Amino acid sequence: MGSFLTSRFITYLLGGISSGVVIALVALSLVIIWKSTHVLNFAQGAMGMFAAFVGMNLVFKGTNYWLCVLLSLAVGLALGGVTERVLIRPLYGKPEINPIVVMVGFLGVIESAIPSIWHSNLLPVPTPFSQVYYQNNGHTILISPFVIFQVVLALGIMGGVALLFQYTNLGLKMRAAALAPEVSRLLGVRVNRLLTLGWILSSGVGAMAGVIVSSGQSLAATNMDGIFVSAFIAAAVGGLESPIGAITGGLLIGVTESFILGYWSSNMAPLAGVIVLVISLAIRPQGIFTRNITRRV
Amino acid sequence: MKRLLLLRTSYPTSSRLVATVVLAVLGVAITFTLTALDDSKLAGGAAIAIVIVGLSWLIGWSGQVSLGNSGFMAIGAYATAIWANHHTTTPIIFTLLLATACGAVGGLILALPSTRLRGPYLAGMTLAFSFAIAPLALNFPSLTGGSGGLFLNFLSAPTWFVNLFSGSQALIRANAQWTADVAIVVTAVAFFFMANLFHSRTGRAMRLVRDNDVAAELAGVNLQRTRTLAFAISAAYAGLGGSLLTLLTGSVTPQTYSLPLSILLLTLMVLGGIGTLSGAVIGGLIYSYSDNLVSLINKTTGISPTSTFGANLKGIVFGVLLILTMLLAPRGLVGMGSRLTSLVRRPARES
Repeated sequence: MGSFLTSRFITYLLGGISSGVVIALVALSLVIIWKSTHVLNFAQGAMGMFAAFVGMNLVFKGTNYWLCVLLSLAVGLALGGVTERVLIRPLYGKPEINPIVVMVGFLGVIESAIPSIWHSNLLPVPTPFSQVYYQNNGHTILISPFVIFQVVLALGIMGGVALLFQYTNLGLKMRAAALAPEVSRLLGVRVNRLLTLGWILSSGVGAMAGVIVSSGQSLAATNMDGIFVSAFIAAAVGGLESPIGAITGGLLIGVTESFILGYWSSNMAPLAGVIVLVISLAIRPQGIFTRNITRRV
Repeated sequence: MKRLLLLRTSYPTSSRLVATVVLAVLGVAITFTLTALDDSKLAGGAAIAIVIVGLSWLIGWSGQVSLGNSGFMAIGAYATAIWANHHTTTPIIFTLLLATACGAVGGLILALPSTRLRGPYLAGMTLAFSFAIAPLALNFPSLTGGSGGLFLNFLSAPTWFVNLFSGSQALIRANAQWTADVAIVVTAVAFFFMANLFHSRTGRAMRLVRDNDVAAELAGVNLQRTRTLAFAISAAYAGLGGSLLTLLTGSVTPQTYSLPLSILLLTLMVLGGIGTLSGAVIGGLIYSYSDNLVSLINKTTGISPTSTFGANLKGIVFGVLLILTMLLAPRGLVGMGSRLTSLVRRPARES
């Protein structure tokens, strides 16, 4: 058992899963926005990092880690709402390229604003749990209490979002508003408010992804860039509409990346997403977890 | 329909050729009056304008969004540098054509899986490509020179051109102006082809595909082939621009051609005006003088360029400009210009 857990294959698999859950989390946040407003938020990763910066920088000053996580979450939620109201709302009904371009611009603004607000700090953010890997008969297993915390937190957020959408009145309204805005409006659902709520929720999830990524690492504005790209591909592989598809895609890409990293070359890891995307598009261009839909002519 | 016919007949190829030659000669004449610094800025702007017009064609005419054109620029740039280091005496025109072809092939390869994608999917796919290109370059250091990049002899003026200049800095001025002139001529040729393409059968088919792909298919347009062609042409222009930029600067590094460049290209294109030739020229000029713009802001607001805020000011300014343009004037400066002229003209017509 011990040699099995420390074998290269299992090591890479575990590493892939722990990076995959973060990709899955960001992919989930992209799906929430896509389902509610049909916008692909190119600034999602950067917005999450911004929220993480606000909270995690205070950890260095001795503030309680959990308080800082809550602060990051609050900033993330607020940022999502403001972004939808200010940048996205004026663009409803415009060509689909317009919100893409605006969010690309927002990505540029955030990634330039972060280093001009906070001085660069190469120290890793302190973590509430030990980052020392477990040992088994002198062999290292790539799991530490901190890695378990990351995975559990990510899975917990995913579970929470699923519960919200599936079992609460609010979740029902949000699904209805996304599926048939006109009908929902007639039935008394305040659709516009729910679209904003979708962004708030998604941005909160993105902020938590930023927190998970940043803990134990030094903070950098571009920390989430690679993750965002992988997450987008994960969401696309799942069909952009399906939360389950996004999470599966995220784990798939995380593991593929980890195997490429381990067996081939670290420079080739960014290709993992492209490989997964090309293969999945060749098999099912409409996404793995979507039913066949006809496009309106 | 009337409008379509008008477009088809109003500017025949010959008059486009005349306009191109006149503008190119004018551009070259202007370089004689500029300083060496302005000449080299102009040359860089001309190279970027080529890339922008390719992107403008893709986004404005075929309706596909690409964030990967910095990657195609990298392909053209590396093709140029690798070729120039092995064959030092190749005429420039051959090197440029080679880089254009390399860009086109790269575009074709990416287009094969991508053109089945629509809107945001496509943008994301090209985003992944622009992320993967720098690590790819790093992975083959024997070919690409790794993170240090490659160096080559940049363009230098022939002796007859240097002899036109006299004085202490004759050689520097001659070289700067020669590069600017070469860049202007190459840009003029590229724009001439694009102007014809806009008004060709392919261009009209492309707009139909953008506006209503089902109608296009019913009219006998092959969607897949048309979209792939648009992608390949855009990539070819990016390859040409990257190649020209490499010849001007004499070096290529993987960091140059990363995501920020793609964002910058998109910004410049939107600022100028999507889908227009003059918009691409304006975008190129803004690129040339963007440093002047930023230092002007530094001066007027008193932000020190060496502070962390000052160092990141360019990114913030361009990002904000991109957002504001898209929200307030989505047709860019060209659109604003035509709106102004129509405002001026309308009262005249009424009177």
